Amino acid sequence: MSQSYDRGLVEDFGRWREFTAGMWAWIFHKFTGWVLVGYLFTHIAVLSTALQSPDAYTTTIQSLESLLVVRILEVGLLAVAVFHILNGLRLLFVDLGVGLESQDKSFYASLVLTGAIVVASVPTFLAGVFG
Amino acid sequence: MSTQLPDQVEEESTETDAEPTAAPQERRLASKRDRAGEADRRRQAEEADKALDDDTYHLKVFRYDPEIAGKKEPRFDDFHVPFEKGMTVLDALMYARDTYDSSLTFRHSCRQAVCGSDAMFVNGQQRLCCKTQLSDLEAPVRIEPLPHAEVVKDLVVDMQHFYDQMEAVEPYFQTNDYPDGELEEQRQTPENREKVKMSTRCIWCGACMSSCNVAAGDNEYLGPAAINKAYRFTMDEREGEEMKQQRLKILEQEHGVWRCQTQFSCTEVCPKDIPLTEHIQEIKREAVKNNLKFW
Amino acid sequence: MAERYSSFKVGGRRWLWQRITAAFLVAVLAFHFFLLHFVNHADEVTFGMSQGRMQELTYFSLMILFLLTATFHGVNGVYNALVNQGLSGTQETAVKAVLGVASIVLIVQGVRTALAWAGGVPI
Repeated sequence: MSQSYDRGLVEDFGRWREFTAGMWAWIFHKFTGWVLVGYLFTHIAVLSTALQSPDAYTTTIQSLESLLVVRILEVGLLAVAVFHILNGLRLLFVDLGVGLESQDKSFYASLVLTGAIVVASVPTFLAGVFG
Repeated sequence: MSTQLPDQVEEESTETDAEPTAAPQERRLASKRDRAGEADRRRQAEEADKALDDDTYHLKVFRYDPEIAGKKEPRFDDFHVPFEKGMTVLDALMYARDTYDSSLTFRHSCRQAVCGSDAMFVNGQQRLCCKTQLSDLEAPVRIEPLPHAEVVKDLVVDMQHFYDQMEAVEPYFQTNDYPDGELEEQRQTPENREKVKMSTRCIWCGACMSSCNVAAGDNEYLGPAAINKAYRFTMDEREGEEMKQQRLKILEQEHGVWRCQTQFSCTEVCPKDIPLTEHIQEIKREAVKNNLKFW
Repeated sequence: MAERYSSFKVGGRRWLWQRITAAFLVAVLAFHFFLLHFVNHADEVTFGMSQGRMQELTYFSLMILFLLTATFHGVNGVYNALVNQGLSGTQETAVKAVLGVASIVLIVQGVRTALAWAGGVPI
């Protein structure tokens, strides 16, 4: 809107606490989107070590995967990707005009499902790193 | 209320202790009596609580007046307004103005959710003050002018940008698709009327525009109210195909419908319960279909 | 009449493509995660295994398509986010250029890597 009189904190008072489901979904979708696009660039950069030599690639990946930090970050990446996928499906339905009345419930469902999938995947993602 | 809980537990435990061998029916009846008594007691307690707490309502009201030296710095004023059953936020504001401070400024007119003058930011949400019950709000009730608009004075904001966006979509019926016969009426089917019904309810209060995160950042975005207004005419069959194309042309600009991020904020705050997001989405699909036809 | 429709507004076309790529990516990203973390394990990755997969035309072309759609979806999403914040004028043009160059670099690098694995287009 027009340039507003700067009410500072007044303008934003209570806003995040009053945010409704749709707003949170947007914030999370945007955040996960930034993370994923950032990861896409990093991912290609790491993979392109294959251009140097087969060995360089294998050692790079394996030394990265032996780090606990990397494994934990991978779990984080899974969480981010799963949420973005599930909420993305929710948004596709919203775009098709399907189930707009239960958009809040579908957001909570995608959150819960993300949590469940991530928790269930932790053993697979951390396998071998402690060994 | 908090004193109720321990009592209840105690009663339940004595109940089960006293009649361990009672017949099932007797037990059912006893617990039924118990429940009825409990509900009675709870209602009484609630009424007593109300009489105490809701005696007066504490309002914290945003104040700002650029024309007076001492009031240039925004601040919050406290008002304690005696509560009456059925009192709305607008009633409370009017009481505060008439009783304590006649310089308190806010817009209001019809007081029945028709004129759309008194949308404000109440307890962190855009609400129409005349249809918001004080009893639905947590005290202290914090009242501010609509966010993302310039404050003129106290609770009054400059609505010009909102009106400009509304004007931009040509918010009036226009057609060159006349029925045959000079005196023939322009008839609308009941189904078509039903389709646009909700969208006609807009009262231009600006609550949706103020709640919209995208409209706050992007000055050129039409905003929910304007798109809804455009929906009302785009979907009206009486305007005819040529008019529809003209309307879609306005809506499918870069800063038209595509900026909507389906946050549902506008739909949540709309005091007339217009499904704004649904309408915006339908316009998006309509625009896409319209352009796909010729591919 | 045709000319009138040929001017499909940029906003609308990008909106539609963002959705089309989204629907594709939902499936492919889930597949990608599943294949490389559950079927194969991330810590057992070797050049040889990637090579084995990439030498199949189906997998190779799927990955190339994955790269293209993901880049479009991601970069277009970033651009949308910035426009939503009110980006306009020269700044918008600059951002457009930067994002365009970044996408080209990403795609070129991705395709080169894929070719290194496959040892040329696997036909």
